[in-house]
Amino acid sequence: MSSVTPHLEDVLGTVDRGLWRRIARHAYAYKGAAWGMIIGGILIAIVEALLPFLIGVLVDAVVDGASTSRIVWLSVAYAGCCFAFCVLVWCFIVAAGRLATGMAHDLRRASFERLQELESAYFDLQPAGWLVSRLTSDCRKVSSLMPWFLLDICWGITFLGLVGVGMLLIDFVLGLCVMIVVPFLVLVTAYFQSRLLRSSRLMRKTNSELTAVYNEGITGIRTTKSLSREHANASEFMGVSKTMRDYSMLNAIETSIFLPIVTTLGGLGVGIALWVGGLQIQEGSELSIGMLIAFMQYAVLFSMPVRELAARLSDLKGAEAAAERIQGLLEREPAIRDSDEVRARVEEARRSAGGDLAEDGGLARIETIEFSNVSFWYKEEEPVLQDFNLVIRPGETIALVGPTGGGKTTIASLLCRFYEPCQGGVLFNGVEYRNRSLHWLQSSLGIVLQDPHLFSGSVATNIRYGRPEATMDEIEAAARLVEAHGFISRLSEGYETEVGEGGGRLSVGQRQLVALARAILKNPQVFVMDEATSSVDTQTEHQIQKGIEATLSGRIAIVIAHRLSTIRTADRILVIEAGRIVEQGSHEELLEIGGAYRDLYKRHFADPG
Amino acid sequence: MKTQPTRISRLMMREPRLYGMAIAAMVVSSLLLYLAPLIPTIVIDGVLFASGDGPSAFERFVLRLMGGEEFVASNLWWTAVVILLLTAAAGFFAYLRGVWSALATERIIQRMRDDLYRRLQRAPLGFIDRSETGDLIQRCTSDVDTLRLYLSVHVVEIARALAMLVVPLPIMLLVSPLMTLVSVILLPVIVLFAVVYFRRIRTAFLHVDEAESALTSRVQENITGIRVVRAFAQQEQECLRFGERNARHRDLDNYLYRVLAWFWSLSDLMCMAQKILVVGTGLILLSTGRLEVGAFFFFLTVVGMFVWPIRQMGRILADLGKAQVAFGRIEHILGQPEESEGEDGVHLSSSSVSGAIAFSNVSFSHGESSPVLDGISMEIKAGSTVALVGPSGCGKSTIINLLMRFYDPDEGDIELDGIPLSTIDRGSLRSNLSVVMQEPFLFSRSLQENLKMGRIDAGEGDIVEAATVAAIHDSIMEFDEGYSTVVGERGVTLSGGQRQRLSIARALLRDPAVLILDDALSAVDTKTERAILAALRERHHRHTTIIVAHRLTTVMQADEVFVMDKGRIIDRGTHAALLEREGLYRHFWDIQQSGAAAIGDRPEGSAHE
Repeated sequence: MSSVTPHLEDVLGTVDRGLWRRIARHAYAYKGAAWGMIIGGILIAIVEALLPFLIGVLVDAVVDGASTSRIVWLSVAYAGCCFAFCVLVWCFIVAAGRLATGMAHDLRRASFERLQELESAYFDLQPAGWLVSRLTSDCRKVSSLMPWFLLDICWGITFLGLVGVGMLLIDFVLGLCVMIVVPFLVLVTAYFQSRLLRSSRLMRKTNSELTAVYNEGITGIRTTKSLSREHANASEFMGVSKTMRDYSMLNAIETSIFLPIVTTLGGLGVGIALWVGGLQIQEGSELSIGMLIAFMQYAVLFSMPVRELAARLSDLKGAEAAAERIQGLLEREPAIRDSDEVRARVEEARRSAGGDLAEDGGLARIETIEFSNVSFWYKEEEPVLQDFNLVIRPGETIALVGPTGGGKTTIASLLCRFYEPCQGGVLFNGVEYRNRSLHWLQSSLGIVLQDPHLFSGSVATNIRYGRPEATMDEIEAAARLVEAHGFISRLSEGYETEVGEGGGRLSVGQRQLVALARAILKNPQVFVMDEATSSVDTQTEHQIQKGIEATLSGRIAIVIAHRLSTIRTADRILVIEAGRIVEQGSHEELLEIGGAYRDLYKRHFADPG
Repeated sequence: MKTQPTRISRLMMREPRLYGMAIAAMVVSSLLLYLAPLIPTIVIDGVLFASGDGPSAFERFVLRLMGGEEFVASNLWWTAVVILLLTAAAGFFAYLRGVWSALATERIIQRMRDDLYRRLQRAPLGFIDRSETGDLIQRCTSDVDTLRLYLSVHVVEIARALAMLVVPLPIMLLVSPLMTLVSVILLPVIVLFAVVYFRRIRTAFLHVDEAESALTSRVQENITGIRVVRAFAQQEQECLRFGERNARHRDLDNYLYRVLAWFWSLSDLMCMAQKILVVGTGLILLSTGRLEVGAFFFFLTVVGMFVWPIRQMGRILADLGKAQVAFGRIEHILGQPEESEGEDGVHLSSSSVSGAIAFSNVSFSHGESSPVLDGISMEIKAGSTVALVGPSGCGKSTIINLLMRFYDPDEGDIELDGIPLSTIDRGSLRSNLSVVMQEPFLFSRSLQENLKMGRIDAGEGDIVEAATVAAIHDSIMEFDEGYSTVVGERGVTLSGGQRQRLSIARALLRDPAVLILDDALSAVDTKTERAILAALRERHHRHTTIIVAHRLTTVMQADEVFVMDKGRIIDRGTHAALLEREGLYRHFWDIQQSGAAAIGDRPEGSAHE
């Protein structure tokens, strides 16, 4: 038993109170329900403590041959308490529902809104599945333990207090004797709860490992079969499933020891009550038979609140990691957001909305874009861009070419303000874009990314994404422009066909075409296209060229492309290598120079080897 | 439906000894648990408050066991010891019950998990292709958990409730038949109420589950498409759309709490009513002298001991269907056939295979739809390099699938070195063929371990050599941990091109008789591609090479090119010969050369450019 004290610490001592106080703030909106749990817990403890006492009094009344009216009166009180108990149960479950579901809803909303504001870099670092479980299981875990924590803490303390004080008042010596078991009960409970907490954590961890192995086994099946690794994989799996069984057994054994010990301690209490109480009765003291019965019942009941209190505290500890993750997300400040100044201007402009001005009071029309001494890096010692300078004139189409890793996508991402430069600035119409509103900028751009993410819903809904009010005719026109109309009308339900999660029911090439139509329909001032048609087959690509050219004419466009036709018609081609512009000019000019561009060009068209 | 319960019980019959012992321990434990309150009963009635006619025969019997009336009356501490010993013994048997039933369950579940995994590894590829990964994983994880909960908790709870009810009946009848009847009179109602109520509110649970998964998929979509959300400045609309589902989930969940509030309060009321009946009848009998105080205490305690497990049992009975459904879903996987091991098949030793392949009149179709392959005949000479080209869906990859025996042809024969594939042991066939896929799969462990999967005994030198040929050695050395770098979910994310090159290295390590590149260079830039192809050409005497590709520059050097369309081979010859004549090949070549050829390199799909 010497190792008990640290375990007590485990359960009681290290609960992070500051964290939970911050989490509890999300319960403020449901103060009524929370008070309901607290009051409900106290009332139900009073009722439950009264029941054994009432039975004892009743027994005495009957044994002593009290008046019928007194017996009836006491019986009614007993039945009334029972009924009150049930009513209270109804009330606190309803209140718990309001508190738990309301809090989960609010936590989810706040987390979701925060995710919308956080900078892109945040998403690069966190796997999507990880973030999803913040909003689903973590929120559920934290909010669903709240009401029961309040209830059981209030109930447990009140019940223990009432029974303890009541027993001492009825018979001080007997009360003390029965309560001898309480310290043991507390120690045993604390010890086992902390062990159970640990073993169930191990179980959960192993369980997610198990899921990962199944996942790998299924998604990698072709590779497994080609490498004839079926048996090797299966025997590796058996290692994990053995571990899972061991931890499950550990947990089961701990439970199987813990509960019998608690019952035995209850039995000890009953025995002591009978022994000491019996002696008093033999000596002819005042202790009545009814009270002896009540004492014996209390001796058994004592373990309940102790167990529940420990269980709730260990729930709290078990959910601490989830609470930390949620709170961490909610308290994270977005690195890219409108400055206070910009927000003030947006407020002001909203009141005096007018003409050519954007929502932030700046010029709505984008004339020029300028990269001025822009440097960017993920790790300071490995800059992706260094002192990058570029001025884009009105209506100009710029093509970026060059090897992978040269910085083309970074230039596009900086322009879209998915990232901000580490040094230098990006200027729209000569104004640093950190002084403009993010919403204005991003709603002025038409961005088509290489990975064409579609949302579940129909083809039409997806094309309409940037402009929800677009008519069917406009949608069709956009689809025709990118040669998507043909395949869309061949789908089972045409434009109303569901594309599936992530657009999974369409091929990557088809998704790119829909994404292109989506950007075109939005009719943006500036186009940013990053390998927008890389997976479209060669014939189709050929056919949509004209449509794209027509769309781009008169607008600023930044195109990262690998197809000659797109590049050829660009006003200016920039060859980007290692974060710098090594050459720029038109197709013909660059061929003339005979530098890097010509190498690229030749390498592809000259016969290999 | 009718046969499923027997099947679950058959599952339990895999551990008959353990379950039998667990049941025996449970009966003993509940018997002892009931004997404990009997002691105070007898002591109160027979010793402390002995009525006029002295102790009954039964009381005298028990008292004699404890050392006789006189001894007990003068040594009351002894009763406390007896109670303690009885509860401790009951606890010990409860512990045995817990451990044995857990052991039986965990053994069965571990075996089930292993079986599932092995079956998934060895099922024909067609089954995996037809199934959704998420669904398969759910069957292997949450359905198994449902079954585990059923076996380890639910079955035990039901058995315990029955034991708690049946075991004390003889003693109860012995003490008072009338009180016994009163004690159990409401139990059928309590069980029935629980079963009926939970059956009826099943849809409420279902709705919450559905609302939750709708919520989850919305979050999932938003996060995976977060760049598109920003690109179209749709954050606010996304919040609104999420808000709808969030609120719907909250409301349904809250409704469920209300429904449950009614259940728990009403069933509490019934349990309370059962106790009130016992108390009321007991008091009446007590007042008329037909029941002794100790017996009253005994019934009060006993009812308190079995009424709650019985209520719990009703709740569990209502959920039995869930376990049956889960078991059915698990059986679906376990019922799949395995790929035949082919013990009687020909074993190929790796050194003796030369790599000559012949297809004669091979046809294949997925189910009843139009054939994917239609009368394919071709011969590939040992050590030669051949290429398969054609539009997507023309059947190129199916040829590879048949060659690997992932699928078997409907008609026709395929031979390797003149031996029909169907007579060759699958494992030994696959260890002589190495296929590299367009989207290769890497296991989430170190690069070295991944490469070694090709050949377990590969030495450091072999690995570096293969990696060098696949042009990935230099990239690997750039990682901080070189070949020890862990990839996948727990490690670094590799680009598509890096993955392709790694898996080429893995395939080369096996030194196969036939090397198959199934569009395996699509994400590799042209310069690297050329280097890899050149290095492969130098090794051409070591294996037959089959290349599937879209880019015709990839296949220019092949000894023979097969042009495929709609499941047939429509043309064959060398690159030069094919260019000579009018046809699909020249058409592709023209398109790729003129308008739509690649410049610079292919994207490697990395977010951090």
